[in-house]
Amino acid sequence: MTQDATGMTRETRGPALPRVLGPIRPRPRWVESRLLALVAIALVVGSLSLGATVNGTFRLFDARGLAIYLGALLAAHVAQVLAGRRTDQVLLPTVAMLGGISLLLMQRLPQDLVTQTFFGVTLGLAEVQLVWLLCALAVATTLGIVIRSDSWLRRYKYTWAAVGVGLLLLTFVFGTEINGQRLTLQIGPFSGQPTELLKVILVVFLAGYLSENRALIVEQDTRLGPLRLPPLPYLAPMVAMWAIALGIVVVQRDLGAALLFFGVFLAMLYVATGRLSLVVIGLVLFVLGSALMATLFDHIRTRVDIWLDPFVDPLGAGYQIVQALHAFARGGLVGVGLGAGLPEIGGRPPIPEVHTDFPLAALGEELGIVGVVAILGLFLVVVERGLRIGAAAADDFRSLLAVGLALVIGIQAFIIAAGNLKVLPLTGVTLPFISYGGSSLLANALVVGLLLALSDKGVEPPPLPRVSSRWRRMGRTSAA
Amino acid sequence: MMIGSGAARRPLGRTTIHVAIVMSLAFALLAGAAGYWGMVRAPELVRSPNDAAVIAAARTVPRGLIRDRTGRLLADNKKDEHGEFYRVYAGSALSQVVGYASPTFGRAGLERAYDAELTGLAGDPLTDAFAKFGAKRYDPKDLTVSLSLDLQRAAVAALGKRRGAVVMLDPRTGEVLALASTPSYDASAIANPDTARAAFSALQADPALPLLPRATLGRYVPGSVFKIATAVAGLGSGAITPRTTFKQQPAAEKNGLLVEGYRVQDGHHPATGTTALDLVGATEVSCNIYYALTGLETGGADLVAYAERMGFGSPLPFDLPTAVSQVTNGEGRQPGGFADDVELANASYGQAETFVTPLQMALVAATVAHDGDLMRPRLVTSLTGDLSGSRTIGAESMGRVISATDARAINAAMVRAVEGPLGRQYTSGAKVAGVTTAGKSGTAELGGTGEPHSWFIGFAPAENPRVVIAVLVEQAGRGGEVAAPIAGDLMTLYLKGPS
Repeated sequence: MTQDATGMTRETRGPALPRVLGPIRPRPRWVESRLLALVAIALVVGSLSLGATVNGTFRLFDARGLAIYLGALLAAHVAQVLAGRRTDQVLLPTVAMLGGISLLLMQRLPQDLVTQTFFGVTLGLAEVQLVWLLCALAVATTLGIVIRSDSWLRRYKYTWAAVGVGLLLLTFVFGTEINGQRLTLQIGPFSGQPTELLKVILVVFLAGYLSENRALIVEQDTRLGPLRLPPLPYLAPMVAMWAIALGIVVVQRDLGAALLFFGVFLAMLYVATGRLSLVVIGLVLFVLGSALMATLFDHIRTRVDIWLDPFVDPLGAGYQIVQALHAFARGGLVGVGLGAGLPEIGGRPPIPEVHTDFPLAALGEELGIVGVVAILGLFLVVVERGLRIGAAAADDFRSLLAVGLALVIGIQAFIIAAGNLKVLPLTGVTLPFISYGGSSLLANALVVGLLLALSDKGVEPPPLPRVSSRWRRMGRTSAA
Repeated sequence: MMIGSGAARRPLGRTTIHVAIVMSLAFALLAGAAGYWGMVRAPELVRSPNDAAVIAAARTVPRGLIRDRTGRLLADNKKDEHGEFYRVYAGSALSQVVGYASPTFGRAGLERAYDAELTGLAGDPLTDAFAKFGAKRYDPKDLTVSLSLDLQRAAVAALGKRRGAVVMLDPRTGEVLALASTPSYDASAIANPDTARAAFSALQADPALPLLPRATLGRYVPGSVFKIATAVAGLGSGAITPRTTFKQQPAAEKNGLLVEGYRVQDGHHPATGTTALDLVGATEVSCNIYYALTGLETGGADLVAYAERMGFGSPLPFDLPTAVSQVTNGEGRQPGGFADDVELANASYGQAETFVTPLQMALVAATVAHDGDLMRPRLVTSLTGDLSGSRTIGAESMGRVISATDARAINAAMVRAVEGPLGRQYTSGAKVAGVTTAGKSGTAELGGTGEPHSWFIGFAPAENPRVVIAVLVEQAGRGGEVAAPIAGDLMTLYLKGPS
């Protein structure tokens, strides 16, 4: 037992490096295992329904793919039990359900929508997605088990910010243009969308920056006529964010990412400061920026026009969104059933890019409004877990980090779902955990992994609050 | 001020809850949007020809057949070399009604209006909900329409090379017997994938607008046929009785009727002399002054209100889309939307801002023919599907417009307009031999030097009308000389069969 005791003391003193190895004491996770069992049942039923519709036989649609996925879920669960950490037990099953829905959807779409060859083996849409889902599970679980310290995120926030801006610039300069959007960065055989990683980096940076400067932004005012603004120097990041968002729109033509970044930024700013005026100023800036963009750039004006009335040109400019809305209409309340929707015209699904931009429309047709509401509910569960983790966290940094990470998932899901439903103009962001795509899955797995790690209250306490340089200059000492 | 106290120390929980509330509301908004598209807009969207399921079904499932009232095939299916179906139609006389269904050029006419039923997607919501889970997903329905193929062909032949329209219907049931528009076109050529492109571009380039169904979508100045609508409003509102005469009328025919300083002119009817005419007499000689005075007596509000009871002012409740007929453009400030009494006086005999569809004028005649009770016009009488069985669409009233007594008074006046000693001179050829025939011709002046539109509306037998007709021939001359004989021939054909 001395070993245990020394282990404990070492933990409470808090070594700077993450501790991977240590005494392992398995801890059952009953909530998680029950929820995962529910997920497995739901997916098996879904696969049977899919098989019955498509093949007319009462068998699993793609038994091997589903078995591998369920096996991976079991492995992830067992790994967490063995690791014995007191982390959140709802997040993983929720995300696993979303991933499972994604797997069933990809299995059911034409497999030649995507083909990739790894080491001489050619994989179709569902197989590639399965590979990415497994990688995502591995990433989330590993992070959830391994990370015990946040100092590597907390200390180097400007470094992370630099990495983020660097990634963005790399994409600006070296990005490959696909469909008029410069989103993809290709390095050797690997390609990815850096904005997916960037959103995580953004949250880390903002959590660090805001937790440190929160007090100053809240307490101090700069009067500008009737307006009470925060101290001007602290508006700098807001302006910088605004500029970055506009840059993303102009250079990458990626409205969705810009919306996501700005939305997350404003939400975190509000959580940190409680100042509604900042959010209002931000929104005004955003609206002004959008209006400016719309007057300057034809492609943005076109997007807005399509959004306002896609039925003007249902077979031309408005085709995608009109077909998506038709899919929701065909689905009705209960849907047409898995595999029975998406009537193919000339062997193609009616909605182009259904696997990346419109999975919700496809699911809306096959599972109906009931299914859409259920899926939206799953996303809300993820958000709720994240916010809860944030509210219970030991200090401001962890709080803001968890809240920001949860909002990244929530706002991104909102943006693309709203685009599918013509609530917002359509943008090209992915539906987290459901859309096809490795970058998206891995980045969102990173988010889940960090949230899992943050949810463990038994890890080392956060460091004492650092006194910011500005306070020192003002001759104040820490209130503590 | 103490930095680091108060708000700065505030835990983040409160603002986090605000964010949670906002996110929940945002997602509730999305759920609402899903409900909107999936429930509220769904009935319209799933029937649209742009719907992917409709398009997919069109290629793989044979469309429902269309038959006329005697069971003759109007629209049939054939298979092309790829095994995909295409439509064949029973001749070009029907094209303006039945329309076409083409994978490339979409749909028109009944093929468009009943696209969902013909492809077998639409049904009642309950059947649909179960059909989703059944093995057979499509249930194409065969349509029976009230048209008579013979009558339709005769109507198109009677119009010949002229542009115009003929509407015939049964006033007792609202069943449309013929709905002809010329020039027509060959719908089979558009439906056939081999000839579609050439045929369609030729039709689009044709200045005679053969793709326009004039009977339902053409809007024309009505001229004197509108007087029947004025009579309906005058009698219905009680502004006049069948015996009402206007003292100033005979003199006004010579000197013009002074309305607000403007003279409404009308050629003097030589045979009427100085007699002040009543409803029957004025209708027989088509007296503009009498009807102008009737309109002024009725007032703009009632004239428009009674016209609206007969379908003016909104699209007609019909199987096909219809243009909106108007008494006035409604921009004026006087009651009913007239600019002034001059416009009202001119509109009362159909010459101001009054524009009507031939189908609308047939309904005016049908109102009189069916003793003031207007039946909803309709084409499709039954739908039959393999799964859903047969559904009959019965006759229904659009509501009583005027009393039977008033309707009979106008009926009598219209008989005189065709059969009276003076009426015969104006309206030659409308009479069905051996059958009391009622009607009213119209010669719609268009201004300028062009020939007027030639109109006739009427019905027979007057005692118990079985057929109502409206004939319009564009810029063909006097109504009594051009439209009336066509009407007489077609009513004869319907009532007596081919001779």
